Parts: sequence; structure tokens; C-alpha cells
Amino acid sequence: MARTLIRRIAFGVIAVLGVAVLAFLLEFVVPGDPARAIAPRAQSAAVLENIRIQLHLNRPLIIQFLDYFGELFRGNLGTSYVQRQSVTSLILPRLATTGYLALAGVIAEVIIGGTLGIASTLYARLRAAVAAVNLTLLALPQFVVGLVLLLIFGFRLHMAPVTGGAGLAEIVLPALTLGLVGAPWYAQIVADQLADSLASAYVRTAVAKGLPDRYILWRHVMRNVLSPAITMIGMDLGAYLSGVVTVEVVFGWPGIGLLAVDSLQNLDRPVVMGTVIVGAIAVVFFNLVADVLRMYIDPRTMQDPA
Amino acid sequence: MSAGPATTASAPGPATRAAALEVESLRVCYAGLPAVDDVSLRVEPGQVAALIGETGSGKSSLALGVARLLPSSAVATGRVRIAGAELAELPARQARQRRAGLVGYIAQDAMAALNPVLPVGQQIGELFRVHRGLSRGDASHQAVQELARVWIDRPEQVAHAYPHQLSGGMRQRVMIAMAMALSPPLLIADEPTTALDVSTQAEILGLVGELQAQTGSGILWITHDMGVVAELADWVAVMYAGRIVEQGPARDVFEHAMHPYTGGLLRTRQDLRTGRPGTPLYQIDGAPPALSAGRPGCAFAPRCLRRTEICAERRPELVAAGPALGATAAQGAGTPAAGTVAPTPSPEPPWLAACHHPEVSS
Repeated sequence: MARTLIRRIAFGVIAVLGVAVLAFLLEFVVPGDPARAIAPRAQSAAVLENIRIQLHLNRPLIIQFLDYFGELFRGNLGTSYVQRQSVTSLILPRLATTGYLALAGVIAEVIIGGTLGIASTLYARLRAAVAAVNLTLLALPQFVVGLVLLLIFGFRLHMAPVTGGAGLAEIVLPALTLGLVGAPWYAQIVADQLADSLASAYVRTAVAKGLPDRYILWRHVMRNVLSPAITMIGMDLGAYLSGVVTVEVVFGWPGIGLLAVDSLQNLDRPVVMGTVIVGAIAVVFFNLVADVLRMYIDPRTMQDPA
Repeated sequence: MSAGPATTASAPGPATRAAALEVESLRVCYAGLPAVDDVSLRVEPGQVAALIGETGSGKSSLALGVARLLPSSAVATGRVRIAGAELAELPARQARQRRAGLVGYIAQDAMAALNPVLPVGQQIGELFRVHRGLSRGDASHQAVQELARVWIDRPEQVAHAYPHQLSGGMRQRVMIAMAMALSPPLLIADEPTTALDVSTQAEILGLVGELQAQTGSGILWITHDMGVVAELADWVAVMYAGRIVEQGPARDVFEHAMHPYTGGLLRTRQDLRTGRPGTPLYQIDGAPPALSAGRPGCAFAPRCLRRTEICAERRPELVAAGPALGATAAQGAGTPAAGTVAPTPSPEPPWLAACHHPEVSS
């Protein structure tokens, strides 16, 4: 168990580093001059050159690379080109804001998807209806669902704020958007697992033992259903924390996704790098948490591959 | 064996002790097609009845029908009495409450039949929590005792293990402990040793024999392994295409099989034991028929070496057979009242075969 964990963490560190290196190189492939982005109206070449010198942009790529990663290993993500403050101090509050949304979105996904999946498995009459709902939701992109919700509940019914922000009232629609768009995946996995489990030999054993139906469902079936769902929750939390860009843009949710988009447009390389690295760490971290949780729920996954 | 008190707590006591299992004209149909067709059989307390036949002959459907564990797509008719109780007639809730006390079910693949995410001790203990109202602590204590009863070393540790951490033999013993936990009068074992190696098989057989001596349960042992039958069974019923084609005391059937199908099964086994290397093993040519409704004649006829015209036209009844009757019953038609299982248990259970041309031994 401990060995598995250490190996997983080591792989995680390698993955994050790989992502960082790739992102760094990509930034130099993207056309554009950060100096022009910072001083768009500056006409004189001397001013632009001065900015480049200040930001060390005129040095060879390899030197810039070593500089950046040297600082990174000291925990320093650098300073924003545009906002003149440290990337860490820009990202951390945004990370928390996105964190609320990610959590609320995953909860919505699990509730909506789980309900759909359970309903379609246990009640044969609902199967076709649930399949239709699933297919519709799968076909809709996030921004369409988000805009439709905003239109109906925000502009028509005035039940939700439309001005953006990160309060309790503002979280409902973006979380619902994430929930609706992600629900079909959960519905499918829950329905499949539930059907497998209900048809399994161990459930027949439980029936043969004369255990009550409800007891069998919760004690024998649900734990087997939960295990793959947890892996998906971990993946979603990581992915959402690395930026739910569309939803944040549609609803004006001041999270890390919005920051990433802004800084990409401004060619604010240190901030872009920061959001990418933080996102990669989030993905690795939540996958790891999901795996550890799974080991407790399904002890078969605890075995070290010899 | 008659000295022990009956374990059937609530059987409304008839003068004689009720049979562990009495099946009358059981039919199990899937989508209108019979997998089990008009089967009657009886297992006495303390007896091991072996049900043999090829894959697809309806053995498992019969077992599940007896325990009322058939999938909802199956339709079962007929009567099943377990220690006098008609489990199939009870309302669902009562059936659930009484099932584990009446019949223990040992599945073929213990790995699949045990829940992979629960420690085995809990899986045994929950029987006592649900049916005997024991507390969590008492139930787990009881589970450890049940594990010890099936010859498991260090039962305290094993109780905390998950199924995948145990060996195949240990898992099957856990299954047996679960099936026997409430001391049911009937035990159904659905090929429990098929997936095990030979020495583990022998251990399991020994264990079941000892447990049965303690509890006096009747056992319905489903298998296609004639070796297991020889080792264990008092009584044998041979199934083919959903019907019993021959049944009788194990020793008699083994010595002179009346039905050509039984004879074929026995010969395959004999070849395995005594066949010289290099010589081909005996096999019954052809394959069992697919499920079908209302087929005339004998289902085995297409594969049978003794078939004549009548075999394709008329289905042979299950009638008394055996050397004593052989001389008079050879032509089959005679012998009235032998078509059904005798209603009163006789000391010498009848030997029956369903064949127009039973083998009459010298």
C-alpha cells in the first residue's frame, strides 16, 4: 500500500513536470510579442526593447527555461507581466473560487447522473426516457446549456443573478450546467455497474441468505457501484480545477479558467504557466485521492502488482 | 441418524419425519421453453442425492427452482416441499425470512458468489444479524465459530480477509459455512468442487460428509463428475434435456445402469480411469438437444445406440427398473402405478428408468 502510494506520487511529479515543460515550449510557439501586449500603443522600438530586457525576453530560450524551472523548484511561479504581482497571489484566490464551483458541479453531476442511472436500471419503464435524456445532454455543449439556463432562470424568471460573481446565489446555474453536461457519464456508469451487480452471483448468494432487499442494495450492491464512480469523480474534480473555462466565461465566474483565458490573450506567460501547472497538480492530486479511496472501498485494488 | 432431533423447527409434525426435499412435477420454463420438465424427486434427511447430467441438462435450473432463486424471466410450476414447507407458495417476504433456514445454497464459483468488497466474516455474520437478531459483535463472534466449523485455521484472522485473499478451497469452505450457518434441513451444492484441484476437492467432500453427519441435513449435490458421485452419493438421479431419465440407489445405478445415457456417462469415467495411453476416450456422440416444447419421443434417441422406431414416436415413461423387475418390465409398457414417485417413503427407494429398451443385466 505504502509502496503503491509512493510510486503513484513519483509518477504524479513526473507528469506535472512533463506538462510544465510542454507548456513552456508551447508558449514560444504561440505567435505574438508579450512586449507589444503590455504596451500596445508604444510606437518606439526602444520602449519595446526596454520591456523585453526587463522581462529577460531577449535571452536565449535555454537560459529562460533554466531560469524559470530554477525558480519553480524554489516554489516561485514568477510575476505577472501585466498585473505586476506574483503569480501565486493571483492564482490562489482564483483556485479557491474555482474549487467551490468544481465541488458543486461534481455534486450536481453525481446526484443527477446517479438518479438517472439508478432509475433506468431499477424501473424498466423509465429506461427509454432516461436514454433519451442522456443522449440529449451528451449532444449539448457546455456553453449552450449554460446560456439556455442563464436565459431561462436569469433573464426570464429572474430567479438567478446574471451579473457574474462568486457568491452562493451565483454558483447555482454554473454548477447545474456542469452537472447536466457531466450527468450522462455518471448515469451510464452507474446503470452498467448496477445491472452487473444485480445480476451477479454474489447478489444471488445474498438473496439465498434471505437478506432484505434494501439491505442487499445498500450493503452488497452499492459498494460495488461506487468504486468506478469514485475514479470518475476524482478525474472530474481535477479537470474542473484546472479550469472550467467555458462555464466561467459564460457565467462570469471569477475562477482560474477565466484567469487563464485572460492571460493567454495578454501573452502573460508566467500566469499561463501558473494556471497550467496548478491544473496539472490538481489532476494528479485528485486522481491519487480517488485511488486511495477506492482501495478502502474495493480492497481488490489494493494489491501491489508483483 | 434417527436419534438426533429434527432440525425443522416449525414443520407441522407428521408422524414420520418429512423428507428433506420433495419435488413433484416441477417444470421450469424460460420464454415458454422447458429447461426442467416434469421432474419429481425426493431427498431424505441425512442422504446425499446426486443430480448428474451434461451442461444444459437443467440441473442448475432445478436447483434454483427448489431454492426459489430463479431469475424473474423463469416460470416454475409444480410442488416443492423442503422439510414439509412449501417455500414457493409463501408470500415473498416470508419466503425471504425462511429461505436460509430451510435451504443452504453452495454455488459453483465461490469467487463470484462471495461479495468482493466485504470481509468474509461479515458475510457470514450478517446471516445471524438478520435472522437471529444478534448484535454486530455477537454476529462476528459467531462467524468465527462457523469458520472454525468448516476446518479453517486461524478463523479470527480469516474472518477479516476479503474473498480474493483466500485460496479457492478456503473460499468454498466459506460458502459452505454460510450455507450451513442456520443448519437448514436441505443443502443444495451446485458443482461446488468443479473449480478446485483434486486434493482440495477431496477435502471439501470430506468436510461436507462430516458436517452432514453432525446436522443430518439432506443434500442435493449437482455435478457432472461421476467420481464425486461414487464418493459421496446414496442416491443418483440422471438428467437429460430437462427430464430425469434414470434414478435409483447409487450403488445399483453404478453397477447396472439401465438407461443408455447413464451407461455412456459411466463409461466415459471408466475410460478416464483405466484407459490405456494413446487410446481414444469413449464419448457419447452428438450434443444434447436445444430447449424445445412438446417434442415427441425420447430426447436421447438421436444419440442412442439402442434406438428403434418407437423411440422417435413415444416418450418413454419413468418406470420401475432394476434386475428384480427386469424380467417382467423389459418391454416397458406394463407395471402400473410405477410412473410416479411412490408417495410414502419406502425403505428401499424405487429404481426408475425412462427408456423403451432398458439394459437388463444378467
